[in-house]
Amino acid sequence: MASLSEMYDVGWEEMRDKLRKWREDNCRNSEQIVDVGEELISEHASKLGDDIWIIYEQVMIAALDCSRDDLALTCLQELRKQFPDSHRVKRLTGMRLEALERYDDANKHYDAILQEDPTNTAVRKRKISILRAQGKSTEAIRELNEYLEQFVGDQEAWHELSELYINEHDYGKAAFCLEELMMTNPHNHLYCEQYAEVKYTQGGMENLELARKYFAQALRLNNRNMRALFGLYMSASHIAASPKVSAKVKKDNIKYAAWAAAQINRAYKLAGRGNKDNKCSIKAVEEMLESMQITMS
Amino acid sequence: MPIQLTSQAYCKMLLHAAKYPHCAVNGLLVAEKTKEKKKDGHSGPVLCVDCVPLFHGTLALAPMLEVALTLIDTWCKENNYTIVGYYQANEQTQDSRPNQVAQKVAARISENFSEAVIVMVDSSRLTMSCFEPIVFIYDHLENKWKNREVTTDAFEDWNEAQKITSALLVGRSYENLIDFDNHLDDLRNDWTNPAINKSVLDLC
Repeated sequence: MASLSEMYDVGWEEMRDKLRKWREDNCRNSEQIVDVGEELISEHASKLGDDIWIIYEQVMIAALDCSRDDLALTCLQELRKQFPDSHRVKRLTGMRLEALERYDDANKHYDAILQEDPTNTAVRKRKISILRAQGKSTEAIRELNEYLEQFVGDQEAWHELSELYINEHDYGKAAFCLEELMMTNPHNHLYCEQYAEVKYTQGGMENLELARKYFAQALRLNNRNMRALFGLYMSASHIAASPKVSAKVKKDNIKYAAWAAAQINRAYKLAGRGNKDNKCSIKAVEEMLESMQITMS
Repeated sequence: MPIQLTSQAYCKMLLHAAKYPHCAVNGLLVAEKTKEKKKDGHSGPVLCVDCVPLFHGTLALAPMLEVALTLIDTWCKENNYTIVGYYQANEQTQDSRPNQVAQKVAARISENFSEAVIVMVDSSRLTMSCFEPIVFIYDHLENKWKNREVTTDAFEDWNEAQKITSALLVGRSYENLIDFDNHLDDLRNDWTNPAINKSVLDLC
């Protein structure tokens, strides 16, 4: 079987750089990481220098995702040899137990680490992940709330909590989490857009108007965010179509919706350039926008 | 009212679940519009010829779902299809019951097609060989969603479906599957999945 580097004509440096990019972007493309990482480790370990340890960690986690316990164990053993007392490596041992669904053993293992180091946030979050994996959403939510009381700045945790609340259809609390994130990350268009989606889902005129405002804000931060654009269109359309709004509000929202519709059409035309097959999408979008115009007036 | 799944519909559902093993995924099932409903009601099973993968991860938010439903509805009209069902694979592989999201979307579909079904994909039994069908089909009877027994009759051609799905899973075609989320990330991504449809045809 041809190696990756032969198949795609890439050198080991490119493979190493790809892995770094995936680390930085926190991508969960585990199969690809395993493919690239396994080859890098087995063929080019000596060239990687100190990078190899973080690559072992990355590949190990990806291997767990792909049920490649053989590879995971290899990486873990190398890390244990190099960093015998490290809590970071001990956490990886715990993750392997989680992957094998030995949750009780994993929890005992994590508790032992927390005995030695009660401030180890990574391990506390693993314990919460176990609750989520077991489907114990209520407990996970409770533990995560307690965690956030202590570690109020942990954005990853706030985002995880917002997801848990959304899955439980508790949109009010999900919105609260996203508000925390927006406060600390005012330039992040994704948080704005997600907040708007939650508000829209909550429903009611006030929430719809708030949704529209935050979709607009997300667009200001990133004018290529299609979800924000569609969201602006949908919320403005719904407001304009509502019998309960004043004539002025109706008129304003029709304007916003019309603007959004034009932008959507433009975005589709740009995307469809040189791609004959996408014509169907463009037409579908145009018709969708037209059909909604009819319901508005 | 029986529905039948074609190989294309079945394999794209499984490819979607396989692409995002750590997420919940969902999508819509479409069938060709039939000209008249025969008076005696025995117009044969509804054939789900295709499916449109929608989202992965958080399924419980409304706005993009509404956009997708409206857009796909328009696409259906162009192609003489009707949306006849909804599929979902849960994040928790041990739980394959239709949740609130599934029921809500299915209720919406039922407004246009009274015998809409929910198809739940049982990810815990997803294997490369696909030796058995891993879907549960739910019908709305007496105000509840009831599980119907799934046999190979639920497929237009089970052997073909099994062969094609297995081949595409082994070939990692799911890496190229496009769902509506992917489309919203980059409009050039085509949620009708013409490349995969072609692969299915080639394998028939």
